[in-house]
Formats: sequence, structure tokens, C-alpha cells
Amino acid sequence: MKDHSVDHTINLEHEQEQEQDSLHRILVPDVRDLPLTPPSAIESNFVSYFAPDFTKPGHDQYVYRHANGLCVIGLARTHVAFKDTSGITAVDFNVGKSDRSGIKVTGKRKKNAQHFESNSALCKVNTDDASYIVRCCVKGSLLEVNDRLIKQPGLLNSSADREGYIAIIMPKPADWLKVKGSLLGLEEYKKLREC
Amino acid sequence: MANANTNNTEAEHVSFDSEAAHVISSAVECHGDDDDVGALHDVVKGLPSHAVKDLLSVGVCTRCILRLFGIRGNIYSISAISPSILNSVIGEQRHDEDISSNSKESEFEEVLCALCLGILQFTYCDNKEIPVKKGSASDMAVAISELVKQEGYQIDSFSLEVSVPPIILENENSVRLYMKRKYGTEPWFQGGPFSQSISAKDALKFSLAKPLETLLDCKSGISNFRIRLTFSHKASKVVQSVAVSKQGCKRIKTGNSVDSLDDSVAGDIKCSDLADATVERSFDGLQDNESSECFKFPLQKVNDACHLVLLCQRTPIYFGGRYLKYSRNVSQTRWIIDDERMGEASVEEIIGSNIQPLCQGDNYKFHAAGREDIDVRMLGSGRPFLVEVQNARRIPSEAFVREIETNINNLENKLVGVKNLKVVGIEGWTMMREGEAEKQKQYAALVWISHPLEDVDLDSISSLKDMKILQGTPIRVLHRRSPLQREKIIHWLEPYHYDEN
Repeated sequence: MKDHSVDHTINLEHEQEQEQDSLHRILVPDVRDLPLTPPSAIESNFVSYFAPDFTKPGHDQYVYRHANGLCVIGLARTHVAFKDTSGITAVDFNVGKSDRSGIKVTGKRKKNAQHFESNSALCKVNTDDASYIVRCCVKGSLLEVNDRLIKQPGLLNSSADREGYIAIIMPKPADWLKVKGSLLGLEEYKKLREC
Repeated sequence: MANANTNNTEAEHVSFDSEAAHVISSAVECHGDDDDVGALHDVVKGLPSHAVKDLLSVGVCTRCILRLFGIRGNIYSISAISPSILNSVIGEQRHDEDISSNSKESEFEEVLCALCLGILQFTYCDNKEIPVKKGSASDMAVAISELVKQEGYQIDSFSLEVSVPPIILENENSVRLYMKRKYGTEPWFQGGPFSQSISAKDALKFSLAKPLETLLDCKSGISNFRIRLTFSHKASKVVQSVAVSKQGCKRIKTGNSVDSLDDSVAGDIKCSDLADATVERSFDGLQDNESSECFKFPLQKVNDACHLVLLCQRTPIYFGGRYLKYSRNVSQTRWIIDDERMGEASVEEIIGSNIQPLCQGDNYKFHAAGREDIDVRMLGSGRPFLVEVQNARRIPSEAFVREIETNINNLENKLVGVKNLKVVGIEGWTMMREGEAEKQKQYAALVWISHPLEDVDLDSISSLKDMKILQGTPIRVLHRRSPLQREKIIHWLEPYHYDEN
């Protein structure tokens, strides 16, 4: 007597194999279709703005704005701090009236976030020879500062535009519109700095 | 006090034993129509004639009298219920009615029942305000079944629901109080027939159930197909007030005046359960000897019939399954901003539009266990979903449902796929809850590495098992979620390495 249960099992396994194969085919694209370098996360998710010479010559900062309105603030590649051969050696968030790294923002509404003006200080970055103040650039609520920089200031040297971001600020829509005009887009900034 | 069961020598005044009525009624249910009429006569003979006469004189219709006395069974659907039937009890000729008990014309009583407002006389106004007089329960059942067939419903059962204006309950309580006061001491009353009265709602349901079962060819009971009869009564005054006795008095007033029972016929009332419950509660506290300043008997004469709204509806049916999304330009649900559609299509619309028309439903709703962005694909086993179809005229068979699944999977543009599609009941929601709770997910990502990869690199990746990480709230959602670090576990990583060309 033929054992139909065996046949059934084989068919099931075969089916599952087929499914795995087709899944694999969908998941893994043809290498030839892929670009050598994909667009970066910043390019895909943010609009880049720049504030050159912010309050002081050479203090170039970036403002990466997400579609949801949040702004990531950081040092642009052309910031004068990077001209120093030692690179950045320390970051201190204790500036102005409070230690920015001590603020704990909680909740969906972020009610207890502190409000800052665009020229409020976020932190101080030090090189061997000098120190520079980094400012908000955008008026709004401070949601987060990148406190990893305290232990790993080198992040600024290796990837100031990604892991080395300084802070995240949430401006009100009206405040953003006011400041937007004074910022440069990517192309304008490149032309200005010839990079 | 005379025992209700002792023999009474007076021929007319036969003691009424409520238990006997039940015995007779159950016998009535077994027989056919002719026997029903015969049994009906028997039951009627057992009623106290003077009480019946009293009720008739006040303007209570025959069926209401029978139901007040708590008589149950199939007798309500018998067409031959006319005041003349009660003649055998009260021993009187009624001059203005046709005496023949089988004549349907005797059904067209000129006067609307003061108690049920014509509902149990199958008299009402339809949506066009035209007065309708159905000769019998069967005729009314025909009208109902026409509506069901017109809409194209395919059913295997139905549930009958009736709602009546609250004034009827008020009237009943008035009648009962009156009867209690007048006949409370009599032997037949002691059996407590009035405490076993059947409500007007139930009486109407008894009348309509059997003929409807025949016409629709299915049983009545608990069903996902509801036939709802809503009776309402209009009057010139917009007043709804219930004022009872001094103790435990409840007054509800709408409009500017508080009128007592005798002034109000009814407001422009649609029956609501709340009103009913309130009326019932307010009469709970009625005592024998209360002198109700507002209670008045006899009942107001009724000039207008009730307005009837007939509604047929099926409760929502559910289709469950898992969906796959192959496109990075298809949103999960319909997404339109400023009259412009975001993305090419939506999973919701693709699946819903293939299901709803085949059920001939009014509407559909899409529920998914979780979601993904428009530019993210959903692969593998797929995401559980439910499609809720409102008021389906037909429920597709298993084979038909498989066809729907095939149709969706064979669509030319291959944007969406469906697995395990089937009609589900309540267990569908359990499946969804489980789907949401199931937190283990598989993700696939394409990674570019800036330096060449060795086998040792791949091994170190795939050897990571159950690695705990602390994930900070992504900026993408930081505007609406709390900034927290949430513990996640990466159970396994399976790299697939492309060969370099």
C-alpha cells in the first residue's frame, strides 16, 4: 500500500522550498542593477541647510531638517575647528546657564524641553589650541544633545555629519519659516565654500 | 377567599386559571390552522367575561386582550382574531362588525386600539406617510419578505426585532393598575394572569415569526441577519413625560411643558431603550393604594396609527488572511493629501475592492495587525489583516473565497498578494491581537561595505545570537514618540554575500 503521507510531506517541503526560493529572488536584487554607492541616509531623509560663519567667521554649521520638522544640528566639514591638526579633542555641554547634557526630555509632547534662541550656546568644542562655541542656529525646543561626544569627541572628526551630530531641535513651524531664509541650501553652500 | 379551582355554578363566570391557559396554549402550538381556531375558542371561553367586556369598552383590541391575559402560542398569527371571537365570552352581538368569524373584513376594525396604537392590528403608516392596513400577520409578513427579497439578501436564518413607542408601556401599566383595582379581589385575578402578560413587542413577534419562516424558508432565532421593525408615534405636542405616583415619582420632560399622562398621547417619540427602562423603573414602585395624581383611566383615544420603519440589515462579516506587499510605492491604507493620492495604490483598496462587490455589501473597512511604510515591502509570511464588510447581501462560499484570493494574486500589476483568505468570525480579532503581540519580526536590508569582506567577517556576523541592544527613538518618529531607549534583541543575522565582479 502506497504511503500517501510521505508523498504529502514531500510535496509540502517542496512547496516551502519554492516559497523560500521566490522570497530569495525578491529579496536579493541583481548586483548589476545596484549603484556603487547608495544615497546616504541624510540625502534620503533630510533636507540639508547650512549656516556659514554663524555669529563668527569660519563657524560653519549644518541644519539637517527631517520631513517631520525636526532639525539635526552639527558642525559642517568646513568649520574652522577642523583646520586644527589635532582635530577636536573635547566637547563640553556645560555652557550658558546650564549643562545641556543634563536635560531629560520625556513624553510625546516634550513639554519639559527647554526653549532656546538661534544664537543660544549648545556646547563648546576644544582642539589643542582653541575652543569654539556651537550654537542652535534654529529657535526651538531642545530635544536631545549627543552626549556620546563627551566620551567620544573623536566622532566629530570621523563623521561630524552623522554619528557626530551635536543636537536635535524641534522648532515651531512659524519659527522655522523665519530662519529658513537666512540658511543656505546644499548647492549654494558648496559654491560659497568651493568644495 | 374563594379558591380559584373550586367549581363555580354560574355558567358565565368561569374561574380563570392561568395554568390552564398555558396547557391549552401548548396544545394550540401543535395543531394546524383549523385546530388553532378551535383551540382559540376554548381559550377564549375561559376568560372572565365582565373583565373582557370592560377592556373592549375602553378601546383595547382583541389581541391586546389576549396578551394581557398572558395567553401564549401560535394564536397571534391566526387571521381569524376579531372582536367577534370574544362574543362567545361576552355573549353580545356587536352591531357594527361582521359577525362571521372567518371573514377577513372583520379585521378592519375602524378604531385603533388604545393600548397598542394599532400595532397588533397590523395597521401603520409607511415611509411615505401612507396608512397601511394589513389584514393579518401573514400579509404583514409578505410585505417584510418582499423587502428582504428586493434587496437580494441570501439568508439561512433571521432575527426579528421590534421596538415600540414607550407610550404603550405606560398605557399597559395604566390598564393593569386599573384592572388590579377593580378586579383585584376576584378569584380569577388571584391566579395572577396579568402578571404574565405578554408585551406588545413579543406578541407582534409571535404573530410574524411563523409566516416569515415560511416565506423566507428559514428559521427565526439568533442570526446575523436582522429584521428590525421600529414603530414611532407622532403627536401635535412634543412632550415626553412620565409622572407617576407621589412616591418614587419620576419626571422626564422635554419641550416646555410637563404634562400628565392624561394629556399626552405621545410626543414625537422614537422608542428608545432608555425611555423604556425609565418607564419600567418608575412603575416598579407602584403600590396598590397609591393615589396617583397623574394616573388617569380610560386611555386617550388614538387617531393616528404608528409610523413604521422597516429595516433589514446583516451584521458585519469578516474576511481574514495575510497580505504581502511587493511594491515600494503602495501605501497600506488609502492616503490622500490635498486631493492627491500618495503612492500608486493602497493595500486596503486592492483587497477591499475585490471582496466587497462579491458580497454585495454597502461598505468595507480594512484592519491590519501593525503597519509598514509606503516604501517598505512586506514579504515572507505576510501581515495579518481583516476586511469587514457591512451589510453583505450574500456570503461567499469557501470555493468563491479561494477564487477571490486567486484573482487578487493574479492581478496584472502584482503589487499586492494575499494568503489564507477566508471568512472568519470572532476568532478573527483574536488572530489580529496575536499578530500585534507577536513582536519577532524579520527584516532584510541591503548593505554596502567600503572594504572587502572575508569569510571571517561573515562568520562573526552570523555567530551573533540573541544580542541585546538599546535602541534610541529614531528621528523619524521622534516628533510623536517619547525619547527613550528601548531594549531590543537581535536574535540572528544571516548575511548573504555578493560575489564581486
